[in-house]
Amino acid sequence: MDQSSGHSTEPIIDIAGVGLTLTSRAGAVEILRDVALSVTPGQSVAIVGPSGSGKTSLLMVLAGLERASAGRVTVVGQDFAQMSEDELAAARGRDIGIVFQSFHLVPTMTALENIALPLEFAGRTDAIEVARDLLTEVGLTDRAEHFPAELSGGEQQRVALARALSGSPRLILADEPTGNLDGKTGRQVIDLLFGLHRRHGATLVLITHDESLAARCSRVVRMADGRIVADEAGSATTPQAAAQ
Amino acid sequence: MSDSATTARAAPVPSPVAGRTSTLGVRDALRLALREMRGGLSGFYVFIACLALGVMVITAVGALSDALTAGLARQGEMILGGDVTVARTHMRASDTERAWLDERGRVSETATLRTMARTTDASEQALVELKGVDGAYPLVGAVVLQSGATLHVALQGDTDGRPGAAVDPILLERLGLKIGDRFRLGDLEVRATAAIVSEPDSLSDRLTFGPRIFLAMEALEKTGLVKPGSLVRWRYALKVGAASGSALSGDEAARIDTFTQAVKRDMPEAGFSVQDRRDPRPRVRRTLERLQQFLTLIGLTALLIGGVGVANAVQSFVDRRRKVIATMKSLGAPQKLVFQIFLAQIAIVSLVGIAIGLALGLIVPVSLHSLYADVLPFETQLTITPASVAAAAIYGMLVALLFALWPLGQAELVPPAVLFRDAVAERRGWPRPYLVALIAAIAALLVLFVVMTSESQRIALYFVAGLTLVFALFWALGAWVTWFARRVPRPALPELSIALANLGAPGGLTRSVVLSLGAGLSLLVAVALADSSLVREISSRLPENSPNYFLLDIPKDDYDRVVGIVRGVAPDAAMARAPMLRGRVVSLGGRPVDQIKAPPEAEWVLRGDRGLTYSDEVPEGSTVTKGEWWGKDYSGEPLVSFEAELAGQLGVDVGDMVTVNVLGRNVSARIANLREVNWESLAINFVMVFSPNTLSAAPHNVLATVTLPKDTSLSREAEVARAIGRAYPTVTAIRVKDAINAFGAVFGKIMAAVRVAGSVTLVAGALVLAGALATAQRRRILEAVIFKALGATRRRILSAHILEYVLIALATAGFAVAFGAIAAWVALEQVMDVAFAFSWSAVAQALALASGLVVVFGGLGTLQVLRARPVPYLRSE
Repeated sequence: MDQSSGHSTEPIIDIAGVGLTLTSRAGAVEILRDVALSVTPGQSVAIVGPSGSGKTSLLMVLAGLERASAGRVTVVGQDFAQMSEDELAAARGRDIGIVFQSFHLVPTMTALENIALPLEFAGRTDAIEVARDLLTEVGLTDRAEHFPAELSGGEQQRVALARALSGSPRLILADEPTGNLDGKTGRQVIDLLFGLHRRHGATLVLITHDESLAARCSRVVRMADGRIVADEAGSATTPQAAAQ
Repeated sequence: MSDSATTARAAPVPSPVAGRTSTLGVRDALRLALREMRGGLSGFYVFIACLALGVMVITAVGALSDALTAGLARQGEMILGGDVTVARTHMRASDTERAWLDERGRVSETATLRTMARTTDASEQALVELKGVDGAYPLVGAVVLQSGATLHVALQGDTDGRPGAAVDPILLERLGLKIGDRFRLGDLEVRATAAIVSEPDSLSDRLTFGPRIFLAMEALEKTGLVKPGSLVRWRYALKVGAASGSALSGDEAARIDTFTQAVKRDMPEAGFSVQDRRDPRPRVRRTLERLQQFLTLIGLTALLIGGVGVANAVQSFVDRRRKVIATMKSLGAPQKLVFQIFLAQIAIVSLVGIAIGLALGLIVPVSLHSLYADVLPFETQLTITPASVAAAAIYGMLVALLFALWPLGQAELVPPAVLFRDAVAERRGWPRPYLVALIAAIAALLVLFVVMTSESQRIALYFVAGLTLVFALFWALGAWVTWFARRVPRPALPELSIALANLGAPGGLTRSVVLSLGAGLSLLVAVALADSSLVREISSRLPENSPNYFLLDIPKDDYDRVVGIVRGVAPDAAMARAPMLRGRVVSLGGRPVDQIKAPPEAEWVLRGDRGLTYSDEVPEGSTVTKGEWWGKDYSGEPLVSFEAELAGQLGVDVGDMVTVNVLGRNVSARIANLREVNWESLAINFVMVFSPNTLSAAPHNVLATVTLPKDTSLSREAEVARAIGRAYPTVTAIRVKDAINAFGAVFGKIMAAVRVAGSVTLVAGALVLAGALATAQRRRILEAVIFKALGATRRRILSAHILEYVLIALATAGFAVAFGAIAAWVALEQVMDVAFAFSWSAVAQALALASGLVVVFGGLGTLQVLRARPVPYLRSE
């Protein structure tokens, strides 16, 4: 699939006035304040900022895993505020792939089964075949029957990447995908992520602390204290450039 | 790291501990353990509950048994009606024997027999237990009557010369009488003068089938019921000089022993059985001991099933503490110290569980005493022996250690590298060899303790072997289900593949749930199947031609007339008869019975009176399996035919001598053959059938059966009994259906009690299940959250969980039914000789229980899983 050319110009992410307030024992805590962001298909966006700036919360809102307390959230053309929990799950299954810092593979399933899972949720009968191809794509053909506990951190994250891409999502959300990996493995995983982004043409939103990594994206969004404080162009303007 | 190394490295920086190092001991481990436990007991609630439940059952059983045994022992004199009793059937003590007894103390004579009480117009009749008493009765205690009068006043005759009778109120109801009305006992008309409230020595008489009637001895003699050959049990209670009500002194005990020896010495062939107040009811005591053993073993089963919960709790505790352990090791703690710290924590938690179990167990007899004290035929004594409490505590500690040591062994193996490489797969190997040896030693100690504290060591060994087998089978089954779930081709349905993945997961629920629920369920299925098979055997499988009545005490010369009376009412009635005597076995194969160690299932033959008969033909329902039957008109050496299975159990065979005491005379006969008896046919049959020349000269009556055609109406059936009653008031007619119903009712209660006891094991299983689910809960929530992130709906997650629970319940219940059925089959067909009948309702119950428990506990967990907010689980630590 290649959506880098000829795709719709309608933004894949279109949020405005988004606020997220959580209540804790100490009282209400404002996590996100009046966040607005518009991302067009095929872009790669890095969200950077210090710890506690609201990066992960924003990602969770974009994934429909957290409901915004205020504002409009339209992702992959759907108004998340109007959707039930199960409709949000279906939307993720169809259009969104998520990569976590802690991989979050299902420990009771093999690498191959983990990758096949979103396809199975979507009712695909060729789930295992597609998963096997993806496993080859991330270079883990010989690890198909291994359980997550039997894989190294880098291998687990590669499985998680393959899983995020298995449903051919239009949007990939990655939450510090190299945060739990050593430098060399982290670089390999990032190369793989951008390679996949390029080949699959999906929009990529990436949270990172790493400025050099952020610079590989077509756009860098900076956050502080729950707000977007800067939105600037990265060094890459196309997925192809980002992958290099 | 060695102490010297520590000191050397510490040298450049002045340290307050440098130079004050010492080897860490158990006290240090305990101190560190207590410090480690500041977090409280959370995570150990299931551990504590599992241990407390088993210990509670064992304590409660021990304490209850103590109360009953103490009650029996303290009130031995009351239960017996004296310091000592001598008793025999058929023959009253001769004048010489009576004089001999009178020389040795105060004597009271009683005669008990089973007979019919009838209304004066013979329209109603009821089976009763009649007791004739002399003026000295009771030597100890008193018969309490509703009117408040004394027994002897009540038994005095009225102005018309009719003797008085004190009766059980149930009899009045059955015959439609009230106090003051007349009724008939044998040939005598008596007046009901008082209703009985309690009888001091009721436990001393054999199992009673009907309501009690007291009659003065002189009146009993006039009933015509006491004739040579009638089944009357004569009992003589004596006070031989021991003080009443208190514990026996050494002197008093010696006096009783002297008396007992004198009976054997002076009246060796009198056929008296002697009992003294120290053990007034050996059969009741033995029944209690056996019941205690059975219930203790049930408690132990619950404890062992709970052990799975203990192991799971310790495993997850060790898993949670991996980083703490690694930190301790990185700071220099040796393996041994780590092990000691965690062992000390487990020991403390175990003590808490045991203490709770002991406390709850001790409450049980107290509350039962306040609720049911009035129901028991003797007062219970709320005494709890230290032995019972200690036994329960020892069981608790051994089981806790047995199940905790293996996972604890993993604690000392945790590598410090865990601190740096968290995601690395943990490998759970065997604990170190010394620990494996220790676990084996504790298992051996537990088996030894079970066997040594059991009344029947053979049964205890069978139990241990059976339980080990069940545990091994279900452990293997759990492993197999896990393996199979991993191997089965991945189904297209994602819910099913998630369910299978969970079933096959290395740390999943499968093994502990299958093991803990399976063992308890198997027990319940076995009980349910045994119950239904026995009920079917008792009721629906009665042979087509089973008799309607047993007629007792027909004078042998009057049998033909009785047949005539029966045929007068029911011309097609079939009748069979057998001479009926009662006698005690004195010796078998030349060995006196008190020297024979009989297995429990054959012991009854040697104790008390047995029915004896003679016949010149093989009795109906019997088949000779070894030896030859004597011919008609045989007149040689006295011969006897012995029931084959019991002969095997008692160690006698063809050619051995059997001596029985009948009517105060020892009669010896050689075993000519062994017979297999089909007891269920309900034809008249006896363990011992003698050649006619052996017993026919002794005075005796005849036992007969009356079999009416199948279409006989109830009124005609009743008329048969009334007609016999009118012509032969001394003949007792027992309706077979009533007897079977009465037995069925008692049996039903026993089986219900067994089921309640057995369900304790299922409660233990449920606790383990709850524990396993709680342990897995965090993993399951995280998993569900990932599924949601990957696009799974809640319905899909719910379906996957339900499928997982259903699969696990089906596998467990399916195998529990199979194992339970095999156990029931072995018990019924091989041990009890009862046809095994499969019952689908037992299977349905097992399935419903298993799926109910799994779905309820699992469902609660799933509810939480579905409600969980994803974000906290998905954020990195």
